[in-house]
Order: sequence, then C-alpha cells, then structure tokens
Amino acid sequence: MVGLPARGKTYIAQKVCRYLQWLSVSTKVFNVGNYRRKLHGAHQMHSFFDPHNTEGESARKEAALEALKDMIKWFLEEDGTVAIFDATNSTRERRCMIIDYCKKYDVQVMFIESICQDESLILQNIMDVKLSSPDYKDMDPEKAAEDFRARISHYEEAYETLNEMKNESDYTYAKLINVGSQVMINMIQGYLQSRIVYYLMNLHILPRNIFFSRHGESVYNLEGKIGGDSKLSPRGRKYALALPELIKANLGDQPLTVWTSTLKRTIETAKHLQYPKLQWKALDELDAGVCDGMTYEEIEAKYPEDYFNRDEDKFNYRYRGGESYRDVVYRLEPVIMELERQQNILIIGHQAILRCIYAYFQKLSQDDLPYVKIPLHTVIKLTPKAYTCQEERYKIDIDAVDTHRPKPKRPTDVSN
Amino acid sequence: MSLIFHGKNTMAAQLYKTESGRLFHAGKIAIITVGLPARGKTHISRSLCRYLRWLGVPTKVFSVGNYRRKAMGTAGKLPQNFFDFENQEAAQSRRKIAKECLKDMISWLEAGGQVGIFDASNTTEERRKEMYNTLISEDIHPVFIESMCDKQDIIEANIRSVKITSPDYIGWDREAAVKDYWKRINNHLGHYQTIVDTSLSFVKMINAGERIIVNNVKGYLQSRIVFYLMNLHISPRIIYFAQTGETLNEKVQKADAELSPDGIRYANNLKNFLLNLREKEKKQRIEEGWGDEDERTLTIWTSARRRSYQTAKPFEDEGYIIEQRTSMAELNLGVVDGLTIDEIKARFPEEYERQQQDLYHHRYPRAEVIC
Repeated sequence: MVGLPARGKTYIAQKVCRYLQWLSVSTKVFNVGNYRRKLHGAHQMHSFFDPHNTEGESARKEAALEALKDMIKWFLEEDGTVAIFDATNSTRERRCMIIDYCKKYDVQVMFIESICQDESLILQNIMDVKLSSPDYKDMDPEKAAEDFRARISHYEEAYETLNEMKNESDYTYAKLINVGSQVMINMIQGYLQSRIVYYLMNLHILPRNIFFSRHGESVYNLEGKIGGDSKLSPRGRKYALALPELIKANLGDQPLTVWTSTLKRTIETAKHLQYPKLQWKALDELDAGVCDGMTYEEIEAKYPEDYFNRDEDKFNYRYRGGESYRDVVYRLEPVIMELERQQNILIIGHQAILRCIYAYFQKLSQDDLPYVKIPLHTVIKLTPKAYTCQEERYKIDIDAVDTHRPKPKRPTDVSN
Repeated sequence: MSLIFHGKNTMAAQLYKTESGRLFHAGKIAIITVGLPARGKTHISRSLCRYLRWLGVPTKVFSVGNYRRKAMGTAGKLPQNFFDFENQEAAQSRRKIAKECLKDMISWLEAGGQVGIFDASNTTEERRKEMYNTLISEDIHPVFIESMCDKQDIIEANIRSVKITSPDYIGWDREAAVKDYWKRINNHLGHYQTIVDTSLSFVKMINAGERIIVNNVKGYLQSRIVFYLMNLHISPRIIYFAQTGETLNEKVQKADAELSPDGIRYANNLKNFLLNLREKEKKQRIEEGWGDEDERTLTIWTSARRRSYQTAKPFEDEGYIIEQRTSMAELNLGVVDGLTIDEIKARFPEEYERQQQDLYHHRYPRAEVIC
C-alpha cells in the first residue's frame, strides 16, 4: 500500500484480503504499524514520525524490515500467494527498498496508492478509526486528533506520490483518487492483478444495509428432501406475507432492491414485497447432482461412501454431477461484486448460497462456512462498518423445520 | 428444424434481463472512441463488442469510417486533400456523415439496444462536448475511451498490419499506402486535444494498455468494460479447441464417467497431432522472419470433469501445464440427461417442441440453458 495516514489504506488492504481469501487465494495482511507498536510501544507522539528525527526514522525502518522479513517467511514456509504490505511507503526510497528486497525472492510487487483530497473524508476517517487505535488509548479525543494531524503533516513533508519524478514508470501500480473517482493503472500484468483493480473500482464507503433471508419453508423442506424446485408450504406462505412488514419496520422509506434465485420458492417468498426485484440464476441452490430430490437418509443408503466423504470435507466435496461449496463460491463472485457496488439489498436465497455470501462478509474460514446456521423464517441484517460487519437477526414467529446438519463428531472406530 | 434467433444483436441472457430488455438495470450506454488514426480504436471497439455480446448485452459498433466509405467511396476515390483540417467543404461533409452515424446509433439504442460503440476520431473538445450534450438529452450515458500511443513502432506495425489492408487501400502499392496513411495522421496531429474535462466519464488507454487512466466511471457494465480493457492486449497468439474423448458412459452426463479405451487412444493422438502442428507453425514463423525467440508457451484448460482431465493427461505427461476450470463443465441437462431423442419426444413432447423453436433460450426442467 502507499499513501498518507488516514487515506483508507488499511480498509482497502482488509477488503482485498477478504475478497481474495474468499476466492481461495492464500492472502495475508502485514501491518507495519502493528510491528512498530510491538518493537517500540504504542503512545508514540507525533515527533516520533518527524522525518528529521533520525532515531524515530531508524526505529520505523526497523519495523518495516521486520514486517518484510515475516512476509517473505510466510511466502516460503506457508505457501502464501498474495501478501498485502500495509504501510505508508510514501517515499521513493522506501518503495525502491521493497522492490529490491522482493526481487531477491522472486516476489512480484504491485503498489496500490490511496490519494484523498477531500478534507471532510479525511477528518471522518480520523474520528471513526484513528482515535480508537492503541496509539491513542486513554487520551483526550481532541488532543489525539491534534496529534494525529501533526503526524500527517510530518508525512506530507516527505511524501512522493508514485512516479512523481517519472522514475517509477516500470512499476506495477494502481492509484485510487478520492475513493475511486479516478483510477490510474500502470503496467498491470496478469489476471489476478486486473481482478484486484476491478474489485477496488467497485468499492464504496456509503452507509447501507444488506438483508439475507432464506425462502419460506418449502414442501421439500417438510419432506426432508434436498434440491428440487418445490413450492412453499402453508407455513412458508405465511412467512412471505409477514416479510414486507418486517422490512418496512427496519428501512422505513429507504430504497431497496430484492434479489431472488430463479427457483419457485424464492420467487414465491418475495411475492408481496413492493420493491424492484431481480432474479439471478447465480443465486440458485447448490446443485446436488444425482442426489437431487433425495433425503439425507436415502443418500446415506444409496451412496454411503459419498455421504461419509461429504462430512469429511464439506467445503470441497462435490456431489456427483453436481457442485461443491467451492464451486458455488466461484459462481457467486459476480453477485458479491454487485453487492459491493450497491446500497440496500435484500437477498432471498437458499441455505448453501447464503452461507457463502454470509461467510464473505463475516470473514469465516472455509472450514466454518458450510456449517453456518441460517435458519428458516429468519432475516439477517448486516451493516458494514470500518473493519467489521455489524449483525442483527430477526426471527419471525412462524414455525419451520430445522434443516441444519451440524458437523458430525468423528467416532474413534469407523468400521461398521 | 427451424432456429429463431432474437435478432442478430440480441443474445440476451435470461439471467439479468429486465423489463426494458436491457441488462443489470444499466440503462443505455454510448461508448465513444477518441484518438488519432492507427491508435487501435477499431480494435478496441470490435473486441469490446464481441465481449459484451457474449455476456448477453445487446451491443453494436457504429463506425463513421464505414459510413464515410459507403457515402463517398474508398480513399482512392476521394479528393487528395479530403482529410486536411483546413478543407472546409470536406470538413462539412465529414460532419454530416458523423451526424448520420450518431443519429442511427441513438435510434438503435431507443429501439432496445443497450451499448452503442461510436467508432471515430472525436479528437476535439468541441466535438466531444457536442456529442455529450446530444446523448445526455436522449437519456444515454456517454463513456469516452481515448486510445493514445507514443511508441512509433506500435503505430507503424498497426499501419502495416491493419490499415493498408482496409477497404480504403485495395489495389494500392504497399509503401504508397503507408505514406498516405502517415499523411492522414499528420493532418489530425495539429488539432488533437486530449480529454481534460474531469466531469466526463472516460478511460485513457496508453500504449496498448501499459497505462490506463479511469475517470468518473460508474456502473456495473462500465466497470466490467474497464476490467475487460485491462486484459486486452495486442500480442499475437493462437487458441485451439478440442472435444473430450469417448467415455464409458456416453448416455448420462451426470455420471462423470472415465474415458473408454478408444477415448484414451484419441487423447494420445490429439497430443501428437497438436504438438506436430505447433512445430510446423513455429517453422513457418521463422521463415516469415519472426525469429525463434518467439517461443510461445502452451497451456491446456480443461473442465473439472474426469473425461476432460483424462483427455488432457498426455499433455501433462510431456510437461505442459493443465488448468482445471469448473466453469467449463458441460451443460447440465436436467431431467433429460440420459435419454435418447425418441425418449425425450415421448416423455416431454411440449418441452421438445419448445426447444426446437428456440435452441438458445430453451431450458429443460432443472437444466442449464445455453444463454
């Protein structure tokens, strides 16, 4: 990352990390600020960051080198693919050092610079994020803001934007100006890099809510069967009638778009909602292949080996002629991208699909993803905040079957 | 058997269609190319059009050059100084032609098109402002794509490989055509104004994608377009397609069967055939003077199905890299998987009838559809 303090570098770093991890690309963020705090303690006053303060200067360089060392170690020992080096890196000298260091280990470098000229945005960022950092614990907020602004001016003194002197023209970089209103891309090589830039172009920081709900209870749910394209049960239909009120109570007059799959049960559930609706085939339930329309007992009887293998590794297991959770994650990628771009959205979907989308926003691992509890007749509301997502759940008082299968405990002796 | 396509420009994906017939609620978009001659504007226009249509977006290129050729004939028939900036009469007729072309694009967008690509030089601020105002008044969102190049060798290569084979130069002597084209470029040079108005939505492509500047580009389709442009290149390459070998269970797709002995023989023959072909191609390139440092690596892409991977295995054994992509799996046939045509006709007569009417859009129950 490149940029003055309070320009959203850490926010961008975390979002990119989340996106890539969700796509199964091994990614990790190395935040130099954390290394500096570990080596030299928090509570450093702004003079520590004065470029003329040689002691502060060498201490900060030491932290950067420590982080770089750990980063290379992670690449080599833990088979990492993308490391995000989160620091200001605001001088040509520092960037040159990073390029040289990485070249020795055959690591490609791409810079992402965040430039912001909107004073109010910067101030907002300081208030929301910086003042709650460990650097300012127990300090008076006004004094903290003052100190932080002084810190920024020190950095501004020595700041060299990428390629300012036209001597970094063969570096790969993307400059984001004012939260993406202008993006300058230089020497992008490869699909992954263009994918990252494409993702960054779709981010915004406007406040909004994302609602998830499964379709109302369906006939197949009652029969314990998976897959299929059945209609809603009577209880499911009651849920569809109760939804509009719940949403209205939460959103008031704010605009909302409703997304459903192309299967009958989600479309039926959305029937009474008075908002614009979009159907996505990409939101259809995980394809169970030959097992479509069977109950879990029938599957265990007919395909016992498959049944066992699925419990062993639910994320990767692919139904015969069907899909795995991993496959679903890939096909949901355009949905995720569109979700990033939009504001208020209500998704009426299916269990596996919602697990994947939920796991993206709540940063769950691939091991946990297939076991997330998404019960019927419940609306989940997510409100993205600076580095996390606030969550609230609203259960509507209409009974439904429980379709959740917990991770089975491994018996010590498997022969039977 | 009759096939009905919904118009040549519409391969609409059922996925994202809205009531207006357009996709993603993205509205009407006009892509306007900007740049000197031989900067790759038409290449960008055509490639973008192909990509968007494949996604299912109704897209069409409106080329002012083609309109000019239709109205006034090719470069050979034009007066010598037709492209001179000072030639008022010629300038007027060029403006008239461009206006025609723009009008046609606007009507096409009104009639249900979604992305119109206006392929012309549009090299002055004045021209662009005029177009912007016209389009906005018709509720069309304009995005400018400026193609800039300061590397002489790229421009020269472009002229030699593309320009002198254009309809404008049929029958011309090669070197005379090149000279004439440089003259055309120079006519534009003095009056070229690069885009500086940051209120406009624009993308500047510099040196075939080395540097890209994206300004004020909003919207799903628009960002998808920029993503595509980031990946567009002009390096020469070849794509080969081959089917998977015969399997032990040809009837049922879902069974994910392995290759039959004939299928395995096919896979080995395929490998030998392709590698021999590549040797021949390489020899030909050397003869044409491309030099043998042009060692182009071959990568094999397969689906995640067993038969696909097994067909590619002989390549892997020779050291080539295989990439498995789940998105390349065969169409899911739903309830008719495993049935013969006669069985389908017997069991699902209405579905069969409907499918014959429209192969592209028809979806059997629980199946995937081509679009």
